[in-house]
Amino acid sequence: MSYKELFKITFNLIILYVAGGLLLAAVYAKTSPIILKKNQEEKKQALKNMMPEADEIIKLGIWHPHEKEAEYYVAKKNGQIIGYIVQTYGKGYSSYINILFSVDKNFVIKKMNVLHHAETPGLGDEIEFDWFKEQFKGKDLEHLKVVKTETKDYIQAITGATISTRAVAEDGIKKGLEFLIKALKKEVKHGATRGEN
Amino acid sequence: MELPEEKISYWELIKNGIFKENTIFRLVISLCPSIAVTNNVRNGFLLGVAVLFVQAMVNTTVSLLRKFIHPRIRIPIFMLVISGWVSVVDMVMAAYARATYKEIGLYIQIIVAFASILARAEVFASKNKPIASFFDGVGSGLGFLVALVIISFFRELLGKGTLWGYPIIHAKPLLIMVMPTGGFIAVGLLMGFFNWIDIKFFGGKGAGGVEH
Repeated sequence: MSYKELFKITFNLIILYVAGGLLLAAVYAKTSPIILKKNQEEKKQALKNMMPEADEIIKLGIWHPHEKEAEYYVAKKNGQIIGYIVQTYGKGYSSYINILFSVDKNFVIKKMNVLHHAETPGLGDEIEFDWFKEQFKGKDLEHLKVVKTETKDYIQAITGATISTRAVAEDGIKKGLEFLIKALKKEVKHGATRGEN
Repeated sequence: MELPEEKISYWELIKNGIFKENTIFRLVISLCPSIAVTNNVRNGFLLGVAVLFVQAMVNTTVSLLRKFIHPRIRIPIFMLVISGWVSVVDMVMAAYARATYKEIGLYIQIIVAFASILARAEVFASKNKPIASFFDGVGSGLGFLVALVIISFFRELLGKGTLWGYPIIHAKPLLIMVMPTGGFIAVGLLMGFFNWIDIKFFGGKGAGGVEH
């Protein structure tokens, strides 16, 4: 290969990659503020859906499941605490599953929702289905266990996606609930009033 | 396949993509998604739509750039075009079409690695005019979509007893069909079936003997 050709190839590659990069940068600059805004709106809406009867949802702090940043909240109605909302991550088959769940004052689960995941379409993505989410309603710490047979007391695994099910129920929600109980106990010990600020 | 300069029937190009050079059943490429994403009809269809769009756009872009691309570095350039389009579609949909994005966003991102897209850019778009390349992309994408829907139709019906999520058969389903194993079985049997049709009724030679 002559130097001239070498130069031509390099030049060709650089021009096209720089042009492609610039185009992508332009699209990113245009879309990313909109995406960010929509994400925030959706998050607010998701929190509200978790606890529709609450008139006030206050952030309590952050915690770090799988070294990611997640938030937890207290929900109030007329100034009275009616429950808590926790964001958590579970390590799934091909992604970290971002989950939001709400509990009442006795730490019994009211609702759960999957915010984001990249599990296998057709298998793991059944964690988004209503039948799966509804299983969590009324479960407490002892009953957040995945079983592979038909069950009403525990969490029934999705066929072909036991790992994703475990990630949601045990790695995600159970750990989140354990954390919440521990965090609240600590606060009581220190004499702090919950949910202020 | 190189087309003569004069008359090109676009309809022929589309038909070619669906039947004669069907990505899955005749060219036997991109088999990975044909097994991974076909355990229900909805998934197969949505992935097909995403591929159809990206394939048409990539083909058109590569064809427009074909005189400027140095032949020795064409593959990295094709990859740039593919990943560029995938990123653009992903970002634009996330910003302006949230509802659609929630449905097919997951599929858009996995298209980057599909051999079928690269193959059409190399075999057709780098040698033909933009409009012809666009229709070749549409045909090839449609062929992919049709193949995925056929495979997922049988897998969902037998493996779950449903179609597009609606219950059809009220009996204990053949669970193996929704697992990856069932994917191999379904693709193999269907490929054999289409080869048999080709040989029996059209005098072809099956997937091994595609005429160019």
